[in-house]
Amino acid sequence: MSKPIPVALGCEPVVGSLTSLRKRDYKVTNRLQEGKRPLYAVVFNFIDSRYFNVFATVGGNRVTVYQCLEGGVIAVLQSYVDEDKDESFYTVSWACNIDGAPYVVAGGFNGIIRVIDAGSEKIHKSFVGHGDSINEIRTQPLKPSLVVSASKDESVRLWNVHTGICILIFAGAGGHRNEVLSVDFHPSDIYRIASCGMDNTVKIWSMKEFWTYVEKSFTWTDLPSKFPTKYVQFPVFIASVHTNYVDCNRWLGDFILSKSVDNEIVLWEPKVKEQTPGEGVADILQKYPVPECDIWFIKFSCDFHYNAAAIGNREGKIFVWELQSSPPVLVARLSHAQSKSPIRQTAMSYDGSIILSCCEDGTIWRWDVVTNSTT
Amino acid sequence: MVSKAADSAIKLRKSHGQPANDAVGTLSSKIDQLEKQIQAERIVSIKEKLLRNGKKVQCHVSEVVSAISKRDSLHRQEDRISQMLSSRIGHPLFKFNAFSQGSSDKDLINSLDVIFTTSIKMPYVERLPPYTSWIFLDRNQRMAEDQSVVGRRRIYYDQHGSEALICSDSEEELTEPEEDKHEFTDTEDRILWMAFEQYGLTEEVLDTVSESVGGTRQEIQDRYKSLKEKNMGRQDQQSEGSGDYESQIGISLEESLSTALDSFDNLFCRRCMMFDCRLHGCSQPLIYPSEKQPVWLEHEEDRKPCSDQCFLKLKAEKTSSDPRCSHGNKTTTTEEGVLTFAPSCAAEPENHSSATTLVEERCNSMSTTPFPTEVAVCGGLNLNVPVTESLGKRKTIDQSDDDLTLLIDDSQSSCKKQKKITDTDVVTAINENTSNKSILSGSTSHDEHGNVGDGTKDGMAEAEFNEPSNFMNEHVEGMQSLSEWKPLEKELYLKGIEMFGRNSCLITRNLLSGLKTCMEVATYMHAGGASMPYRSNVPPSSLRNDSGKTDAECTDQEMPTRARLIRKRGKTRKFKYSWKSAGHPSIWKRIADGKNQSCKQYTPCGCQSMCGKQCPCLHNGTCCEKYCGCSKSCKNRFRGCHCAKSQCRSRQCPCFAAGRECDPDVCRNCWVSCGDGSLGEPPKRGDGQCGNMRLLLRQQQRILLAKSDVAGWGAFLKNPVNKNDYLGEYTGELISHREADKRGKIYDRANSSFLFDLNDQFVLDAYRKGDKLKFANHSSNPNCYAKVMLVAGDHRVGIFAKEHIEASEELFYDYRYGPDQAPAWARKPESSKRDESAAPQGRAKKHQSH
Repeated sequence: MSKPIPVALGCEPVVGSLTSLRKRDYKVTNRLQEGKRPLYAVVFNFIDSRYFNVFATVGGNRVTVYQCLEGGVIAVLQSYVDEDKDESFYTVSWACNIDGAPYVVAGGFNGIIRVIDAGSEKIHKSFVGHGDSINEIRTQPLKPSLVVSASKDESVRLWNVHTGICILIFAGAGGHRNEVLSVDFHPSDIYRIASCGMDNTVKIWSMKEFWTYVEKSFTWTDLPSKFPTKYVQFPVFIASVHTNYVDCNRWLGDFILSKSVDNEIVLWEPKVKEQTPGEGVADILQKYPVPECDIWFIKFSCDFHYNAAAIGNREGKIFVWELQSSPPVLVARLSHAQSKSPIRQTAMSYDGSIILSCCEDGTIWRWDVVTNSTT
Repeated sequence: MVSKAADSAIKLRKSHGQPANDAVGTLSSKIDQLEKQIQAERIVSIKEKLLRNGKKVQCHVSEVVSAISKRDSLHRQEDRISQMLSSRIGHPLFKFNAFSQGSSDKDLINSLDVIFTTSIKMPYVERLPPYTSWIFLDRNQRMAEDQSVVGRRRIYYDQHGSEALICSDSEEELTEPEEDKHEFTDTEDRILWMAFEQYGLTEEVLDTVSESVGGTRQEIQDRYKSLKEKNMGRQDQQSEGSGDYESQIGISLEESLSTALDSFDNLFCRRCMMFDCRLHGCSQPLIYPSEKQPVWLEHEEDRKPCSDQCFLKLKAEKTSSDPRCSHGNKTTTTEEGVLTFAPSCAAEPENHSSATTLVEERCNSMSTTPFPTEVAVCGGLNLNVPVTESLGKRKTIDQSDDDLTLLIDDSQSSCKKQKKITDTDVVTAINENTSNKSILSGSTSHDEHGNVGDGTKDGMAEAEFNEPSNFMNEHVEGMQSLSEWKPLEKELYLKGIEMFGRNSCLITRNLLSGLKTCMEVATYMHAGGASMPYRSNVPPSSLRNDSGKTDAECTDQEMPTRARLIRKRGKTRKFKYSWKSAGHPSIWKRIADGKNQSCKQYTPCGCQSMCGKQCPCLHNGTCCEKYCGCSKSCKNRFRGCHCAKSQCRSRQCPCFAAGRECDPDVCRNCWVSCGDGSLGEPPKRGDGQCGNMRLLLRQQQRILLAKSDVAGWGAFLKNPVNKNDYLGEYTGELISHREADKRGKIYDRANSSFLFDLNDQFVLDAYRKGDKLKFANHSSNPNCYAKVMLVAGDHRVGIFAKEHIEASEELFYDYRYGPDQAPAWARKPESSKRDESAAPQGRAKKHQSH
C-alpha cells in the first residue's frame, strides 16, 4: 500500500489492525442466484419500521424486492423489469412520498431514474434529465421524499420523488470534473451533502441558500418541467484525500468515510474554513484496511446506528469494521469457499445482525450473526 | 502502529551514536521523546474526537428514529387497502430456504435460482442523448486557473474492456515539481521550540533538529525567529490591545489616490465596464491614454453658485477690491478655450473623439458623482447645437464629446438635464449640511465626513474625532492654510483639474463632495494648489499641457502599484508520468473560411503618443484599438469605416473586410439609437443603420435544443432567417492552446469535442460552459457558417446563416476539421484504435482482470 503524500508528524491516522479479536461470528444462511447479470446494489429499507427486514436489489434491467425471514429464509415480494433490455441498473434506494407510501428508486446506465411505488406495484414516475448513467441514489433520512443522484454527467441532482421535481443541480464552475460515483446526505444537517467521483475529490455542498426551492418543490402543482431548477456551482469544501477514483462516501456524524481503490476505508474530518469557502483541510483520523479491494465500484454500507460498516472485496470476502472505536476493531471477516466473485455492495440490517452481499456473478448471499457463540 | 517518524528518530540516534557531544545526544533522545509524546497525544485526540462524534451520531440516529416513528403513526391511522407491499409480506411470490433441501454440509450452500414468473413491467422510456452537465454562458470567459487539466492526473477506463487507463501524455508532466518550501506544522514547531529553548541555538542543535524535522538549516533558523516573534507579539498584544484599528477599514485620507483606488483598479475591467470581468480578468495592466480628453468648459456668467460655500459668492464680495486674486480671470480663459476649441473640433473631428479617455473618465464617473450627465449637458449647451438638428451635426457632437456615443440622445440629454438639477440639489444639500454641521459639535460633522469618506466609523469613540473635526472647522474659517489638505484630497483635486479644468464648483461636487467646500477648493487653487502655478492669461493649449504633466505624475505614482498587482499563482500539484503520449490529433472545430489564417490576440499597448517599433501591437501584428494608450492619430490604429448607406454588410466596408464588427466609438456612421422616435431622434432600426454590430448588440436568433436527426443533440432554429443573418454566438471558456491539446485528448475519448480555434493564443472550449449553439452538428454541406469576429478588441465566434433557413430546421456548420481530425462519426466508422498507445494501468478497474 503506497502512501503518496507523506504524513506529517502529529497528523498520523490510527490504522486498524486486521489481526484483532473477532467480536462476532456470522455464518451463511442463504444464497440466491438472481440471473446471470451482475448485481450492483442491495439495500435494506431504513425509512419505514414496518419494512426494516425488506430489502431491494438491482442488476441488469431488474429491480427486486425481498424480505428476510427467520431461519435464513428469503422471500421474494416484488419483481420489476425494465422493458428496455439494455438498461443496467447500478443503484437503488428506498424513499417514500409525504404520506409514507414506500417507493423504490433505481437508476443506472440509461440515466433515467425509476420511481416505483411499492405500495401499488406501479411505476410512479420516471425522471429524465441526467445526461448519462446514474451511479448512486441516496435518500434523505429525515425527509425521505428527497433523493440525490450522482451521475456520469458530472452532476449531482436533488429530486423530490413526491412531486417529481428536479430541485437543484450540483455542477458547474466548482463541480466535479469527471463522473460522480457516490453521494450521501448529512445525517442531521439537512442542507449538506457529500459527493465523490472519478476526479479523485470529495466535495461537500450546502443547499442552505437554496432551501426555499426545496420547500417550494413540495407544493409545486404546475408541470415539473416548469420548476425553476437551480444550479449550485460551488461546493463549500473540496478534499483531496485520495489519489484515485473515490467510489463511495458516507457521513459518520460530522466526519466522512470514503474509499478509493487503495484497499482501505478512510475516516476523515473536514475542517471547513468559513471565511474562504471551498478551501479547507481534511484531517485523516482513522483507516480501516480492506485487503484485495482495489477495483472501483465497490461500496460499503453501515447499519442503522452506524456502529459497523461492511464491505466486500474483489475475492468475495466481507470485512466488518467497528466504526466508532479507536483504534478501529475488525468485528468479523466473512469468507466462504464458494464466494469468489467480487462483491459490489453489502447491506447491513437495522441492528447489524444480517449482512447481505450482492456479487458480480449475480448471487445474493445472506449472513446471519451467530448468537450462541461464546464471546 | 509505529510511524515512520519514530523510525527515523531511532535511526537518527544511531547515526549520532558516538557521543561526540553529550548535549546533542540527550537532545536527540529528547526529540525522540517529544515525538512519541506528540504521537500519543494524537492518538488520544483522535479517540476524543471519535467519542464526541459518536455522541453526534447517536443524536442523528435518534432524530431519524423519531422521524420514522412519526411517519409510522401517520400511516397506522390510515387504511392499508392499497398497501401491496404489506400484503406481499403476507403472501410472498416465493420463499427460499437454503437448508430446506436438507443439505447436511454446513459449508456447502445450494444456489437457489430466483425465477421470475410475475414481473411488473416498467414501460420503455427513451434515454436522452448523452451530455455532460454544462452551464450557460452569455459571454466568453477565460479559464479559471484551477480548471486546468495540464499536469493533472486523469484516469480513464475503457468501457468495453473495463480497464482503467491513465492518460499521461506530455513531456512537461515529467518536469520535477518545484522545490517546495518546507512548511512547518504545529508539532514541528513544538520540537523546534523545545530544542532551541533548552539547548540554545548552536550548530549541532540545528543539525539535529533539521534531521528530525526536515527543512534546511536556514529555514529552521528563520522559523525559530518568527516563532519567537510570534510569542513576543502575543504578549505585546495582550498588553496593548487593539492599536491601529482605524486605518484598516475604509479609505484613509492619508493614503494616496492610487492606494485608495487599488481594489478598483484591480477588479474593474475598463473594457467591459464591469467589476470582476471573467473575460479579461482582474489585475489587468492599466493603460493610460496619452491623449487627454479636453476639459469641458462653462461660461462663468452662466454659472450659479453651487452652494453657500461657492467661490462665486466669495468673488462677488471681492471683485471690486482685487480682481487678480479672485477667479475673475478665469472667465477669459474659459472663453478663449471655447473659441479655440470649437473650430479645431470642426476641422479635425477625429482628434477629439478620444475614445480612449472615455474609458478613464467613465471609471472616474463611477467612483464619484455622475460625470456623463455633465458631458451630455455640455454638448447641448456649449457647442450651441440645436437638439433637433440634422444627423450630420449630431455626429459632430458625438465625436467632440466622444463619451456616450451610445448614450447621447436628445431625449436623454434633456432628461439628463433634469437629472443634473436634482444632482446639484443633492450635492448642494450635502454641502450645506457640511458647512452647517461644521459649526455644530465636532462629532456630528465628522460623522458626515465619515459617511462620505468610508462610512464605517460608527462605533468609534467620540473623543477620537474631536481633533479632526476641529480641523474641519479651521478649514471653514481660515481657508488659507493649505497644509490641511490630506494627500488623497490633493490627488483628487489634481484629477479634478484634469477632468473639469479650473472649475472649483465641479471639482468639489464630483470629487471632493463632503470633504471640501467649493470655496476651499477655489482658495487652494488660487494659492497654486499642489505646485500648480496660477496662470491668468495662458492659452488653453498650455492648460492642457499642464494637465498632461499632472497626468505624467500620476502615472509615475501608479507604476509601483502595477508592480504590486502581480497575482499570486496557485500551487498546482504535479504528478510524474512515464507513459507516452496518446498521440492522436484532437478534434477541433476551425474557422469556417478555412484559410487557417490564425487571428492574433489583441492586447492593448501602453505606448505614449505614437507607436514606434517597440509597440507590442505593432510587434504582434495587431492593429491598435481604442483601448490602447497611444493617440488616435497613431498610424497603427484601425480607423473604422465611413460607410454611408451600405450598412457595412459587404467587403466594401473596411471593418467587415477585416473581420471586425463596426464600433460606434470608432466608425463614423455606425451608431445605435435607443429612443422610440417620439423626441425626433432617428428610429431604433432603420435602413441607414449599420448591420455589422450584431454580436455587440446581441441581435441573435432564438436557438432551440433538441435531439438531432443526425447524432446526439442538435441545435434548431425557432424562426426563419435569411442568408447571412446572424444566429448567435458560440461561447465558451477561453483556454490556451496547450490546455486545448490536453483537453482535446480527454474529449476524444468521450468522442465529443467542443473546442473551437479562436486565435493564436486561445481556443474556445464549450464543454462545460457554453450555449446551445455548441450542440450544432457538423456537416460537409452545412446551412450555417462560423466566423471569428473582432468585437471591441475581443475575438468572438458568430454563427451565421449560409442560406435561407426555415423555422425549426436543424443547424449545421462545417467544423473544418484538419486532415485526419474528423471524429469517428464524421468519418467512416472504424474500430477504436485509439487506445493502443495508452498504457493500461492496473490500479482502478471496475472489473477483475482475467
